[in-house]
Amino acid sequence: MTAPAVFEAKHYKSELKPIWCPGCGDFGVLQGLYRALSAVGRPPHEVAFISGIGCSSRIPGYTTAYGFNTVHGRSLPIAQGVKLANPDLLVVVAGGDGDGFSIGGGHVAHAVRRNIDLTYLVMDNQVYGLTKGQLSPTSPKGLETVTSPLGSLEDPINPLLYMLAYGAGFVAQATPADMPGMTALIEEAIRYPGFSFVNIQSPCVTFGEEDQQLKAHKTKMKTLASLKHDSSNQLAALDLARAYGTELYTGVFYRNPNPPPTYEALVKLRQAEQSKKARPHHQLLEAYLQK
Amino acid sequence: MTRQPQTPSIDFTALTLKDALDLAILIEEEARDRYEELSAQLVLHRTPGAAAFFSKMVRIEELHRKQLLEERTKAFGDQPSAVRREMIFDIEAPDYDEARAEMTTRQALETALRSEEKAHRFFVEVLSHVQNPEVKKLFEELRDEEVEHQQLVKAELAKLPPGDPLQGVDVGDGPAPQ
Ligand SMILES: Cc1ncc(C[n+]2csc(CCOP(=O)(O)OP(=O)(O)O)c2C)c(N)n1
Ligand code: SF4
Repeated sequence: MTAPAVFEAKHYKSELKPIWCPGCGDFGVLQGLYRALSAVGRPPHEVAFISGIGCSSRIPGYTTAYGFNTVHGRSLPIAQGVKLANPDLLVVVAGGDGDGFSIGGGHVAHAVRRNIDLTYLVMDNQVYGLTKGQLSPTSPKGLETVTSPLGSLEDPINPLLYMLAYGAGFVAQATPADMPGMTALIEEAIRYPGFSFVNIQSPCVTFGEEDQQLKAHKTKMKTLASLKHDSSNQLAALDLARAYGTELYTGVFYRNPNPPPTYEALVKLRQAEQSKKARPHHQLLEAYLQK
Repeated sequence: MTRQPQTPSIDFTALTLKDALDLAILIEEEARDRYEELSAQLVLHRTPGAAAFFSKMVRIEELHRKQLLEERTKAFGDQPSAVRREMIFDIEAPDYDEARAEMTTRQALETALRSEEKAHRFFVEVLSHVQNPEVKKLFEELRDEEVEHQQLVKAELAKLPPGDPLQGVDVGDGPAPQ
C-alpha cells in the first residue's frame, strides 16, 4: 500500500447535488471520475471539465474543478481552446452520445487528428435523455421512441470505430456495472499523453431499453483482457470494435505504444524555433527607424 | 501493452488489525454516504417513503461506523491509516442503480437487504485470504453481524402490508427527466 494521496475523491465533489433521475448510470460515472482524479492526484484547480448540453453534460457542476457547461455539441472545440490557452490544465471533456456524435459529430475528426491532450468521456445511453428520450445516433435500429414511433430505420453509428478510424491514440469502453474497471480506465485515459476517448455505456433508466440497463450489462460484459486482446494492435482493435451494439466489450481497445507528440508540444517547439530566428528586441526599434 | 493504473488495492493476506478496522470503518462510511445520496435523490424526486427509510439507514450506518471508530481509537489511538476510501467499491453501499423515482418503501427495504447480503458475501470472500488471526476474528464478527442486519431488515419487511396498493397505478406524472 502506498501513502495516502493528497487529494481524495471527496475533494473533487462539489456541493451541488445531481438532479439526475434516481438510478441513472451517470451517478456511477461521476463516482468513478472522482476516484480517477484522486488517483491521478492533480488538485481540482488544475483540472477543467468542459461539456456540451444533456443530462450527462451536467458533470462539470458536480465537481470542484473548473467547469464550463457550454453549448450543445461544442464541447470539443471549446475544450481545445481551453487546453491551448493553458496547456498545463488537465482538460476532461464530458457529454452524451447525442452531444458528441450527432450535433457535435463533425468536431470529432479534428480533435482526434490534432491530438491535443484531452480526455473525452462519452456517456453513451443510446437516447437523448435530457429532451425526453428521442432517437440518438447510437440508438439501435428498430428502436421505438417519440421520434421513431414505428421503429428507427437507421443503423447506429459506432463510436469506437469512429475514434479508431480517425486515429485516436487511446480508445476504451467501460460501464458503471464494473466500477473498479471503469475507474481504472478513466484514470488510464487521463494519464495517456494525447487525445483519449472512453465510451461509457451509462444507462438511461427513464428512457433506455431494458437490455441496456446495468443489470443486463453485468451479465453481458466481457473484458478485452479475458479475450487476450493486445491493446497495442490497432487492427485487432478495429476488428473487436465492430462488435459495438452486439457485444459489450470493456477495456482498452487501442493504446498507441509510441504516443506521438501532442499538438500543444508541437506548437511549443514551433514557437521555440521561430523565436531563435527572431531579432532581439533592441534591434526591432532600429529596424523600424531605418525604414 | 496496457499501463497499469496507479490506484493501489488492498492485499488481504497482509492486512493488519489496524488496517482491517480502518477498512471496516470506511465500509460503513461508504454505506452511510450512499444512503444519504439516495435519500436526497428521492426527496428531490418526490418519493418520501423510500427517502425516509434510506435516511434511517444513514443513522444506522453512522452508528456502526462510530462503534468501530471507538474500537480503533482504543486500540491504536491516532496512528495514521494505510487504507483509503478509494480502495473500496460499493461493499455495503447499495448500487446507484437500485434507486428509482417512485420506488416503494418495500423496494427500499429490499435494496437494504440486498446490500447487507452483498456485504456478507464480501466478508465471506475476503476471509478466505486473511491470515492474521486478529483480523480473521474481526471479519468473522462483521460477517455474522451482516446476517443479523439481514434479519432485522427482514423483520421490518414482514411488518409492511403485502405489496403496495399504489404500485403500478398511474398516480400522476412519470419521473421527470433532468
Ligand atoms: C443547438 C441545440 N440543439 C438542440 C438542443 C436540445 N437538446 C438538448 S440536450 C439534447 C440531446 C441530449 O442527448 P445526449 O447528448 O445524448 O445527452 P443525455 O441527455 O442523453 O445525457 C438536445 C437535442 C439544444 N440544447 N441546443
Ligand atoms: S433522463 Fe435518462 S440520462 Fe437523463 S438523468 Fe434521467 S436517467 Fe439519466
